[in-house]
Amino acid sequence: MTTDDYFGHMFQEFPENSEWDAVIIGAGPNGLMAAAYLAKAGLKVALIERRYEIGGGLATEEILYPCYSSNPHVIYHMMVDYMPVIKDFNLDGASLLWIKPNAQTAMVFEDGKSLLLTQMIEDTKDSISKFSFKDAVNFGKVMRSWRRIVDEIVAPATYVPTMTPIEMSMALQKTKVGQEMLELIEQSPLEIINHTFENDRVRALMLYASCMWGLDPRETGIGFFVPLLLDRGMNKCYCYGGSHKFASAMGRELVKAGGLILEHAEVNKIIVQNGRAAGVELAEGRTLRSKVVMSTLDPHTTFLDLVGAQHLDKDFKALIDGWKYDKWSFYTLHVASEEPPRYKCDDPWVNDAFMTIFGIESTEQLLAHWDNVVAGKIGANFGGHATCETLHDPHLSDKPGKHTSFFQMHAPYEIPGGWEKKGKEMEEAILAKWQKVAPNMKRENIIMTVHETPVDIETRFPNMRRGGIKHGDYKPIQLGSFRPNQECSSTRTPVEGLYVCGASTYPGGLVLGGPGYLGANKVAEDLGVKKWWKTTPEMERYIKTYLT
Amino acid sequence: MNKEERYDIVIIGAGHNGTTTAAYLAKCGLSVCMLEERPECGGAQETCEPIAGVRIQPHAIANYGGSAPGWEQLELWKYGFRMDWKAGAIVPFDTDRYMTTSDGLSQVTDKDKMGYAKITGLLTDPPFFKDLMRATFWCPPHPPHVELNEHTIPFMQVYKQHQPDMWTRELLEWTMFDLMDEYLDTEPFKVNQAWIALVSGAHGHMEGAAIPALCSVATVMPPAVAMPVAPRGNIHGYYHALLRCAIAHGAVVRTCCPVEEIIIEHDRAVGVRLRDDATWGAKKIWANKAVISAVHIKPTFLEMIGPRHLDSGFLQRIKDLSLKGGSLYMTHYLTRERLRVRPKFQTPGYRYENYGSFTGPFFPNDSRELYFENVTEVMGHQRNLTIPPERAMYGMVAGETYAECHPQSTRPGVYINGPQWMLVPTPEYNVDGMDAMEDKVKWNEYMRKALSQVVENLDSDNIVQIIGESPREQEFRNTGMLGGSWYGLRCDRDQWWNERPLPELARYRVPGIDGLYLSHQSSAHPGGLCLMAVGYNLMHILIEDGIAEPGDWWYASPWYIPEKGKKSAIPSRPSSVATR
Repeated sequence: MTTDDYFGHMFQEFPENSEWDAVIIGAGPNGLMAAAYLAKAGLKVALIERRYEIGGGLATEEILYPCYSSNPHVIYHMMVDYMPVIKDFNLDGASLLWIKPNAQTAMVFEDGKSLLLTQMIEDTKDSISKFSFKDAVNFGKVMRSWRRIVDEIVAPATYVPTMTPIEMSMALQKTKVGQEMLELIEQSPLEIINHTFENDRVRALMLYASCMWGLDPRETGIGFFVPLLLDRGMNKCYCYGGSHKFASAMGRELVKAGGLILEHAEVNKIIVQNGRAAGVELAEGRTLRSKVVMSTLDPHTTFLDLVGAQHLDKDFKALIDGWKYDKWSFYTLHVASEEPPRYKCDDPWVNDAFMTIFGIESTEQLLAHWDNVVAGKIGANFGGHATCETLHDPHLSDKPGKHTSFFQMHAPYEIPGGWEKKGKEMEEAILAKWQKVAPNMKRENIIMTVHETPVDIETRFPNMRRGGIKHGDYKPIQLGSFRPNQECSSTRTPVEGLYVCGASTYPGGLVLGGPGYLGANKVAEDLGVKKWWKTTPEMERYIKTYLT
Repeated sequence: MNKEERYDIVIIGAGHNGTTTAAYLAKCGLSVCMLEERPECGGAQETCEPIAGVRIQPHAIANYGGSAPGWEQLELWKYGFRMDWKAGAIVPFDTDRYMTTSDGLSQVTDKDKMGYAKITGLLTDPPFFKDLMRATFWCPPHPPHVELNEHTIPFMQVYKQHQPDMWTRELLEWTMFDLMDEYLDTEPFKVNQAWIALVSGAHGHMEGAAIPALCSVATVMPPAVAMPVAPRGNIHGYYHALLRCAIAHGAVVRTCCPVEEIIIEHDRAVGVRLRDDATWGAKKIWANKAVISAVHIKPTFLEMIGPRHLDSGFLQRIKDLSLKGGSLYMTHYLTRERLRVRPKFQTPGYRYENYGSFTGPFFPNDSRELYFENVTEVMGHQRNLTIPPERAMYGMVAGETYAECHPQSTRPGVYINGPQWMLVPTPEYNVDGMDAMEDKVKWNEYMRKALSQVVENLDSDNIVQIIGESPREQEFRNTGMLGGSWYGLRCDRDQWWNERPLPELARYRVPGIDGLYLSHQSSAHPGGLCLMAVGYNLMHILIEDGIAEPGDWWYASPWYIPEKGKKSAIPSRPSSVATR
């Protein structure tokens, strides 16, 4: 029985069956980008999202409910300077305001000393010089070449199809900058940092900044990430109004171009017919048939849960089975307070910093903490980073003059005793540590706290399985042309008409804007659609120098 | 860098009504810029996930707007609109139904049902339910030259045509209780309907509000439907379709852009200036044709325009508009077990296997004396509730009744139910002080005790968390709820239809300021409830003024009367979509 029986036909709803050129699963940054590019190219595009809101990790939510919003996931936007989507859709100035604080990453120590990474190399050198003049000089020297590595190679390569490691090393031989990068690749982050800096506190800051997103400090073969993450760590942007505004802006571009977004729509199945992806079935019963299906989900969900192992050959299934999730996740404590945290240290500028690391006193302690986390524990030696969001964005607090901040630390997905118990215990431990460096973070100053554990991350963002923010570990065998595997790193997959373009595909997560862009390019090429967008000048230079 | 922009239409506020207006005008081909103060659009039509995996509705909950012309005219299905009909748990008309009272269940009799069906237009063939709703909500107030009486008021015309035996002059004077005494049977059913009207804006005891009050209940809880009907993706899912309709037709949306000033030049609204902390900074945005204020009427006139352009007498009348009677305290319950209704209240024959174990109770529906005791506490004494929680009236929505593929909680091992809502004093008028209900621990406990009258397992072992929201917090979160008032402005006869918000403003225009129009629940008939009605009604006026020129998709309200000397909003060609 329906309402029609009583009132007549009340209104029309979205149809049970519909036809599309491209159906894209997951409205995170990559899904939104892929959808917006293709819709603007004239394709009929549907973007399907399981949550009630688009954005994936580009979330700004009222976690400190009511009245205080936070960015529970993405807040540090590191590739704003390079992401083609920002230029192609004019997502700067008019619709989005990107704030790049000069004081970027501070590290404060219990004795009141502090270090500060800023946008400006010279300002950073000044801060390092308090600990070691030699390190300050070395910092200037390495950044000179590291910035070129990022600017000329790593950043543009993010938006260009990947090469195999052999092709890569041959290409890099062509230039001096390339050769410098090759030397770095061979080393581990810890070797690079120890080799460059002598002071232990300087080393601790550099190590934290380059490995906080999941690099193994002792692993070789990933050394080029050190320049990338240090340089980008000095150029983090905040999206005014919260990260979700970035998602909303891309969503508007998609809808403006005629695309459809369905929220609260869970995909049950990717339809495979005659070996070809032909659409999706939703849990609510609706079917969307399409020429191509693009999945931004992790390989296990895409291939094992939605496609089904019966459609995969044995070797390919083994590759998928071998996919490893992130080695760690995050625990975050969100705080609403009367005053922003005020750090008691030797540099007042620290109080303007976008990110402030505390609880880490030495490289030895940092490594021991990370080893603990990887082993499934959290000891008394933990440390992490904090940000006061309202310093940069008053819109996050509905109560004028109040503040929201968070402290975030690496944490294992599974912990002895379970997160429900440990989550509460950590709040006290963190506030005690925070107070040591910022004495005003006392209970009187705090209006409300809420914590989110690695399990909560998975609950809020169901595709961040095991709390993994990058949909899979950053290890050499899961990076570059191996992300997620050699069969799929181009975004094409062995299932014809099915593409993968989420964080588990090359180049990876952290809102690089790479996989979605590359996926859109590939689908446009395969469907013979004219691209309305052009490669950026940085990309063109890179392609000309290294790929021809 | 410091670029000023120019559009045909600038709309202030991206809540439900601003967005409906943007969608209609963008569909007319006008260039529209909609400015929103908060980082997120939607206003009160929002859904939140305060705890990972747990979704709640801080304000609007159900789809009241089923009869809106907007479904056809704006074609929201194209932008992904879907319903969760299971949340509506449609119960056949002939199923036994019961009301909860302190003494247990009170059966709704056949006389109740037949009487209700008659007054809501379900007994004729075809039914006139939709006409009654549209006449009440989806028609702009008549121009001043039209005398208002039983022949001209739209819903009276509907009764006259379809149910002539109900068409009496007294119908216009009655309260909803008077109407129900005439046509219904049992006291608890009447009390229940009157209370739902109370929290929907037009109170069950307001003089001359019988039909608007009835319709504000019937539009969301038609007698055939056991519970409010919810959109898929919740109330914000409905908003998404509306917003995307506006965007797909070219509307430009800017968030974190609070407006400081409506720029008036030579008695004409020509644009707005943004506040310093706006994404765009304090820039000016110019409007060639109209500035439409879809924010609360008080800041519109008192802050954004002010005494430089308005008489003090007029400003005083704006200040005096009553916000009373519209604040709700809201709670959601996160529990380890499903909530269980006490055996005394378990409905015989209710198909629990189909609809979940728990349906939100409306309690206690004992008598109109109890109803008045509750109303007096809030609106008479205007104080923090002193009535014992056992006797406090409330309503509730059960998260558990939603479709399995539309879960309200995906958090393992817990259930979410709510909101439970209770009428409380508007903070502005609370004699105990504006912040008197900020002791959340106390009031959450009060709400829990009230709900415990019906639910047996609301103990501390079961409750993981009570998520409470006070009217004051609602005001902070959502500046359109000035004074924590849900309906923006009291919906009594003195502030409704041709009196809303003031007689001279009732046709959405502002005398003395050309190019300025009102489109907020507080400033425009019929007010709130996410009906897509203010935008639709305003369209008639903008067509009259030559601003909007809609295509074939447009049809005017059949009860609409054009302003003398203006162009009519009724299309000269035959309407492409027939209204029934």
